[in-house]
Amino acid sequence: MQSNQMQALSGKELEYIADSISNEDLLIKQLAATAGTTQNSTVQGICIQQIQSHTHHMDMLVQLLHQHQQYAPTQPQ
Amino acid sequence: MNVHNGTPFMADEDLLYTILADLKRTVREYTTAATESNCPAVRRVFNELTMDTLRIQGDLYMQMSQMNMYAPPGKALRQDVDKQIQSAQQTQQKLQQFVREKTGGAGAYNHGSNVPQHQANVQQHNNGSYYM
Repeated sequence: MQSNQMQALSGKELEYIADSISNEDLLIKQLAATAGTTQNSTVQGICIQQIQSHTHHMDMLVQLLHQHQQYAPTQPQ
Repeated sequence: MNVHNGTPFMADEDLLYTILADLKRTVREYTTAATESNCPAVRRVFNELTMDTLRIQGDLYMQMSQMNMYAPPGKALRQDVDKQIQSAQQTQQKLQQFVREKTGGAGAYNHGSNVPQHQANVQQHNNGSYYM
């Protein structure tokens, strides 16, 4: 089926992936900064748990780029 | 140093609120990205990220709520809810009629099983005993 085929990324998809990586980066930094400043162990626990989730998201997005790398044309089409 | 003049950079509450706001924005952006994806593999990943970020945002909201960092929203009044139910039922009826006219009954816009139940509720509300 066509729906299972990997296709080259569109320009828009590439921008969304890049923006998403920026969002995840900012979230991880905010969580790490909060975990580093808080005196509350519950808040610290929440932040550390969330950092793991967002790190996984970041990995998924980077993997998406790698998966599509070989399909990207080298010349404008 | 994390602490300046003996006070933290920002209160935990404010820091978590900022993170919560960014999570809400990120969910919206993942949803938009999913709807505008062309490649099925990309759409699948954005779908998954939407659902997972939505879950994370909900978890954080509940945790903040439990720590009294987030005041619960005010409750909608019963009369306002009743008004919306009446309005929604009128919308459904008009819509049903519109679809029937356009499709000659083939559109099968059918919500018949739910409507009587809602009407029964409204009648019950109108007894007045719930407007305390």
